[in-house]
Amino acid sequence: MTNKFDKLPEISLNGIVIICGNYGSGKTETSVNLAFNRKQAGLDVAIADLDLVNPYFRTREARDALRDCGINVVLPEAKYMQADLPILAREVSGAIRNPPDLLILDAGGDDVGVTVLAALGDAFAGRKITMIQVINPFRPFTDSVKGCLKIMEEIEYTSKLKITGLVSNSNLMELTSPDDIYRGYELIQEVSMQSGREVKFITADVKFLPLLDMSRFEVPVLPIQRRLLPPWKSSCQLSKIKN
Amino acid sequence: MAKVLMKGNEAIGEAAIRAGCLNYFAYPITPQSEVAEYLVKRMPEVNGVFLQGESEVAVGYMIFGAAACGERVMTTSSSPGVSLMSEAISYIAGARCPAVFVNIVRGGPGLGGILPSQGDYFQATKGGGHGDYHLLVMAPDGVQEAVEMTMMAFPLAEKYRGPVMILGDGLIGQMMEPVEFPDNLYVPPTNKDDWATNGMDRRGSTKKNIVKSLYLDPKVLNQNNLTLKAQYDQMKREEIRFEAYNTDGDYQALIVSYGTMSRVCKTAIDNMKAQGLEIGMIRPKTLFPFPEKAIHDAAAKESCKKVVSIEMSMGQMIEDVERSLKGKREVTWFGQCGGDIYTPEEVAEHVMSLIAS
Repeated sequence: MTNKFDKLPEISLNGIVIICGNYGSGKTETSVNLAFNRKQAGLDVAIADLDLVNPYFRTREARDALRDCGINVVLPEAKYMQADLPILAREVSGAIRNPPDLLILDAGGDDVGVTVLAALGDAFAGRKITMIQVINPFRPFTDSVKGCLKIMEEIEYTSKLKITGLVSNSNLMELTSPDDIYRGYELIQEVSMQSGREVKFITADVKFLPLLDMSRFEVPVLPIQRRLLPPWKSSCQLSKIKN
Repeated sequence: MAKVLMKGNEAIGEAAIRAGCLNYFAYPITPQSEVAEYLVKRMPEVNGVFLQGESEVAVGYMIFGAAACGERVMTTSSSPGVSLMSEAISYIAGARCPAVFVNIVRGGPGLGGILPSQGDYFQATKGGGHGDYHLLVMAPDGVQEAVEMTMMAFPLAEKYRGPVMILGDGLIGQMMEPVEFPDNLYVPPTNKDDWATNGMDRRGSTKKNIVKSLYLDPKVLNQNNLTLKAQYDQMKREEIRFEAYNTDGDYQALIVSYGTMSRVCKTAIDNMKAQGLEIGMIRPKTLFPFPEKAIHDAAAKESCKKVVSIEMSMGQMIEDVERSLKGKREVTWFGQCGGDIYTPEEVAEHVMSLIAS
């Protein structure tokens, strides 16, 4: 397993990275795992929760674990944490103006969820931004190339930003199989071919790493440890993640 | 169809379409707004209608209108929104129209909070609106069951010509699980020409159908209430649904729990079993009619020392559990209702302390 893992190309993201995609595509799991992964690689990482449209299962749920690992988490004030209000922390625009090695902006779902990005236009001006669309082929509306391209167009229109990268997050929760991850990779390659956007990486639950034929992928694989779980399942031991 | 990954709210929307519901009226409220967000995209694809009302009061009567025409119709809302609809629900029950209401419950009373709760148990099972009526109330414990119950709700509403409610706490609406939509749960509508105001020409009839809940003659009103009562009695005979968990062998205590809370209890029961402690659970899938006999019989098992009602509310379902036990056993309550959900460890700790007491 270790040997296979070593052969994988490294994820080479830095600067400002916006994670967007349709509702429930796995933006937050991807963002949080990307933050841990890049922190482990020695980068100075910050993550900001821009999900103003959905009050459940957001980055803020994983905030303590992120902070314990030395990742700067930019969130609205604690007293507004459970408010059903579109509050954007004022620190976000500051972080965009003075980003660490890697600043991850975890946006909300669909075109509605990226409306906030247009409001940050001044802060983004003149900066190089990587905007990534996360795609899970098991979600409604993104099980086809056509559906993915439609969401891409809607997100770009609303955010006034261009999507520059793609991530396949093929996930059917406990029913996911390695074949599903291959299937997601095939779909995202097709989306990449038709849209001209680069596949930045794909994700795979850590438990699949020994089972996957890594030679089938030409892009990095981000191992995912699920951190946003319902209350009857225990989250992975976050304290065991090494810095 | 292969399994897909869906949020409870989205899955309820898709299930309604699969059940043949082409009329959806709603007003947004957290934590159920994704139903509308999903159906605003899907309804046009199936030539269905989504209309956002100007308030939940208006939505309630849009539902009444469509239901009176015999059309399959659904709304979804959350606690304060359902309070606003309660008048219309009473009218729909009184006028004997089939309709499906989904309540993705948030914390209360008042505006409360936006996190999951089971605080609307009384509202759903004991009325909410005025008069002698009941809703047939089903409570899913996950996304797949939410799909199945939504699909079943439409034919059940037609069988009893009355409103059916799906009661899910906020987590049921918000969480994602792999789901499939069983085709065999689709049941075509029947008999609506007998009573619905769907047009004499259209149904080729000379009989006028009138839908109303106003009966000024006391004998006629009493008869309407007797008809309703007979239907609720039939529900109690034919529609009780529950799950018995770890009740085959002996167990030292019995948990009664439903919805998200029952999932936590199952994990707690599994963990206690691994430590050699057997605990049983009855999970009501229908809250009205309530599985009284199942709870009574499970509590009567000789090994069972304690009965506890575990709820995300301040002790509502416990009243039905007490009624089920007919005074033969004591039942205690364990719950909270701010939006936090007990962990399996907290449930196990409580149950073990009960047994030790």
